Amino acid sequence: MNTDKHGFKAILLRHETILLFVVLLEWLYFNSVGPRFGSVDNTFDIMRHSVEIGLLALVMTPIILTGGIDLSVGSLLGLCAILFGKFWRDAGMSIPLAAACTIGIGALAGGLNATLITWLRLPPLIVTLGTFSLFRGLAEAITRGADTFTNFPASFLFLGQERWLGIPAQAPIFILVAIGIWLLVHRTTFGRSFRAIGFAPEGTRYAGISVERRLAMAYVLAGIIAAVAAIIYTSRLGQAKADAGMGYELFAITAVVLGGTSIFGGVGTVHGTLLGVAAIAVLNNGLVHARQPREVAGMLTGLLLILALTSSIISKMLASLNARRQTSVTKPIIT
Amino acid sequence: MKRHFRELSVAAALLVVLLGLAIVAPAFFQPQPLLSLLTREAPTLVVACGMALVIISRQIDISVGSQFAVCSVCGGLLAAKGWPLPLVFLSSVLFGAIMGAVNGWLVAGLRLPSIVVTLATMVTWREALRWQRQGEFVNLPDGLQWVGLSQIAGQWTLILAALALLVLLALATKHLSAGRFVYAVGTDAEAARLAGIRPQLTIFFVFVFMGALVGLAAMMNVVQSPQVDPKSGSGLELKVIAAAVVGGVAVSGGRGKLWGVFVGLLLLACISPALTHLHIEAYWEKAIQGAIILLAVVADGLRTRKQRN
Amino acid sequence: MTKSFGAVRALKGVSFDLHAGEVHALLGENGAGKSTLIKVITGAHQPDGGSIKINGESVSQLTPASAHKLGIACIYQQPALFPDLTVAENIGLRLESASVFRKVNWAIRQQRAAELLKRIGAEISPDAEVRSLSMPEQQLVEIACALGAGARIVIMDEPTASLTQKEQHLLFAVVKDLRASGVGVIYISHRLEEIFALADRVTVLRDGESVGTNKVGEMNESSLIKLMVGREVSAIYPPSESAAGNVVLSLKNLGCAAGGVENISLDVRAGEIVGMAGLVGAGRTELARVIFGITPADSGEILLNGQRITISTPKEAVAHGIAYVPEDRRRHGVILEMPIAHNMTMAIHDRVFPGTWLRFGAERQLALDFTHDLGVKAYGPDAPGGSLSGGNQQKVSLARWLATKPKLLILDEPTQGVDVGAKSEIHKIIRRLAKEGLAVLMISSDLPEVLGMSDRIAVMRGGTITAMLLAKTDAHEVMAAALGKQN
Repeated sequence: MNTDKHGFKAILLRHETILLFVVLLEWLYFNSVGPRFGSVDNTFDIMRHSVEIGLLALVMTPIILTGGIDLSVGSLLGLCAILFGKFWRDAGMSIPLAAACTIGIGALAGGLNATLITWLRLPPLIVTLGTFSLFRGLAEAITRGADTFTNFPASFLFLGQERWLGIPAQAPIFILVAIGIWLLVHRTTFGRSFRAIGFAPEGTRYAGISVERRLAMAYVLAGIIAAVAAIIYTSRLGQAKADAGMGYELFAITAVVLGGTSIFGGVGTVHGTLLGVAAIAVLNNGLVHARQPREVAGMLTGLLLILALTSSIISKMLASLNARRQTSVTKPIIT
Repeated sequence: MKRHFRELSVAAALLVVLLGLAIVAPAFFQPQPLLSLLTREAPTLVVACGMALVIISRQIDISVGSQFAVCSVCGGLLAAKGWPLPLVFLSSVLFGAIMGAVNGWLVAGLRLPSIVVTLATMVTWREALRWQRQGEFVNLPDGLQWVGLSQIAGQWTLILAALALLVLLALATKHLSAGRFVYAVGTDAEAARLAGIRPQLTIFFVFVFMGALVGLAAMMNVVQSPQVDPKSGSGLELKVIAAAVVGGVAVSGGRGKLWGVFVGLLLLACISPALTHLHIEAYWEKAIQGAIILLAVVADGLRTRKQRN
Repeated sequence: MTKSFGAVRALKGVSFDLHAGEVHALLGENGAGKSTLIKVITGAHQPDGGSIKINGESVSQLTPASAHKLGIACIYQQPALFPDLTVAENIGLRLESASVFRKVNWAIRQQRAAELLKRIGAEISPDAEVRSLSMPEQQLVEIACALGAGARIVIMDEPTASLTQKEQHLLFAVVKDLRASGVGVIYISHRLEEIFALADRVTVLRDGESVGTNKVGEMNESSLIKLMVGREVSAIYPPSESAAGNVVLSLKNLGCAAGGVENISLDVRAGEIVGMAGLVGAGRTELARVIFGITPADSGEILLNGQRITISTPKEAVAHGIAYVPEDRRRHGVILEMPIAHNMTMAIHDRVFPGTWLRFGAERQLALDFTHDLGVKAYGPDAPGGSLSGGNQQKVSLARWLATKPKLLILDEPTQGVDVGAKSEIHKIIRRLAKEGLAVLMISSDLPEVLGMSDRIAVMRGGTITAMLLAKTDAHEVMAAALGKQN
């Protein structure tokens, strides 16, 4: 019993395992090409640079599990970053208070997406495309396109630039969020409902689950975490500008899809997403060490996304073939 | 009247904006700046027509901005090599069609969702271009600007060409069976299949056509300046999607008219000069554009909600 | 003109022939194989065996497109129209050639649409968007399409189900017109009076087999009903053992305009199985959806154990102890991609997973208990719902709702698409549940099932309950009530 799912061969062939090997191969290759690549410093560098995209990818996972998408997270990161600067510099708030207000704004922005998607039943794609433009536009309008927030206190910059207990100071936050989202998706009824909605939204409603509330939760959560990412981003760079996080939504979506989450919803894991983030981060950093221009990394990310999509289609076809075969074979009664 | 209600209400909104401007900022209607504004929007209109078709067939293409940049640079390079102008135009259209075919094959052939496919091709083209050009401008030979005409004549040529294309496409979507197939596929792909239409093939060609229009639009933009900016076309996708959605093209597919897209585009195009004339900072443009998209989809959402109940 | 075929999944060696200039009625209970037969003729399904001959020529590999070319047109119950396009365009797209670069002549489209609509006497503007039309109007557009196609074979699947009296008369005139011009019409209807008024011959299908083709003139209502009902209802159903207790569910003048049901009054007692019979479209599933809060009621009252309650979402219905095993198992009943254990706990997340934390051990145990209790055949609680056979999927759907420990269980077509063995097992389970004191409302189109299982039978027609019959009634009476005939 259960050999199908937990057998050695099955684990080996699982998407996450293959991806893990890909990441390891990437690492080994770049380690052999770039002399400094494998150093502890560089490893921490990779971590630092992937925290914000990693956070966005983490919250994108539940959304894509429900069969939705959120294109606005990158823009929201930008808006939150400059609002954080505004709260601190112009409203004279302390850093913790400014951070709390920023997170509140993130929740509100996520709530706007959620309201339009659930209450009016509009497609997430077009709603978040609208807020994608709106949030970025607000950020540009507030800063008049040029205003930059700098000179943050050292105690705040510590979060993004220093080490704490030997590891990058922002890493613990990331790890906490990762564990939180992992538990949410894999260990609570919410995660179960997200999947069910992704597979069959109507069927989920027929089971007495409030689809609207679950969807709203996923989008509000994305807003909150985008705000957290904005604060870390500001701390890492020591400045907040209106173009913060431009294009991050693409990297986040790519990491999620690369990590084995089906763009059609239902299937996917949070650890897969983490591996997807790692694969992209190592690739980006490694190419620099291999003296390749930065643009190659961007290009490869796009190609990787197409590749991952194609493979998900193929595995979907294989799965449906499999399911058909299983139906035709008589299974023993379990007792 | 009733069937054009959505488009007419956008036209009314445009009229109100124009009237407001006439009272508050009559300077807006000076012929030369107005002509420049329309010329700038002519290529956008061409892309918006293609986007309308894509959305009517219930798909989306957000890679048009990148395609636009690739076509501009490639066309510019060929022109710099001394190719004759018509050939440059033709090859740009061809480049666009090829990139459109890639999208079309991934979406229609492999049945991948268009949003993610075009997100991926968007970044791939854009980064590939940046890699190759490193931000370098392409200097165009003399005589290319304004298609070799005087500035005024060139501007009029571009505007009239864009309008002619709009009228042609509007007629084709209404009076050519191919145009009706796009609507049929967008409203119900399965019913279309039963009626003997091939939905996937239709979608493929809609993407190819979109690419070809982008190639044409890129050239219409290139001839407006002595250099080609490799960053041109960034944000174009949002602008044309906004124009289509505001102009009454339903994101659920199957509904929309090209003249509505035209009015929608004019409305959006008025924002930035209107802001300047009203002494509001131009930085609000993007935010207002986003708000208008949301407003349009909310209005449509409320309407269908009312129909449902 | 002859057609004959052998075994299709839902058809067992049915032979059927249609002459030119004849109206051939097809009659049978729901699920007797009528729709399958039609789908084979229109090329939507491929037969597994047998042959189709048109004008004496054998036709193989029939597709919707080639059937269209051969002059076969079908008017389905659910119109397959383009909702966003106008009537004229819908007709145009169906009738014009599919070549890509062809000028669309709107004047001709308009004129043709107007002509066709006039011929069937429909007062529909060719400019109207199909979305804005009512269901019967859409059906009339379908009929206009078939008429315009100049079809030699026209199939009508319950064309009058939603038509008004006046529209019906117009339709009859059209059918007679078609017959006179040498067209063969296959006419499917549950309304016996229509068959006697229109048809030349009638074929009765039962359980995927033909039980005879007769001249209509040689039949009467009673003999037709007898042919349809056929087999005797006997010992195959477990006997009723429970005594009805208190009234659990009481509906008083319940109605829902959006759901198309009105003025429903019904009591269901503890330990009682109330069967609900009626034809497709009579409003039975719609009533279940109203009680379960999917399309909430807008008039009347629902009383549960004497308490007046309002239900506006499925979640509230579940909280009140109402369970609904839906008709469309694959879309609503079971999530095919999810393991059966997850499916079984879906409606009781609050109870098995206190504090929202998943408890895999408890879930697995619950799934094992139910698979054992209901005899679900699967390789384990991890088996995806889609890997199970129809009957076992139905048991999983049932388990999900039994796990909620409901007071009222609504079953919608509990044995549709289920093999004989699983069917009798499901019947035993339902009996046992009733014996344990559950109130059961069972919607079924399987007449013997309704008769064999129910303590009382409610018959619906046209969105309301038209008759309440006692258990020991006979099939003839139920069918007559469902068809709207006086005894």
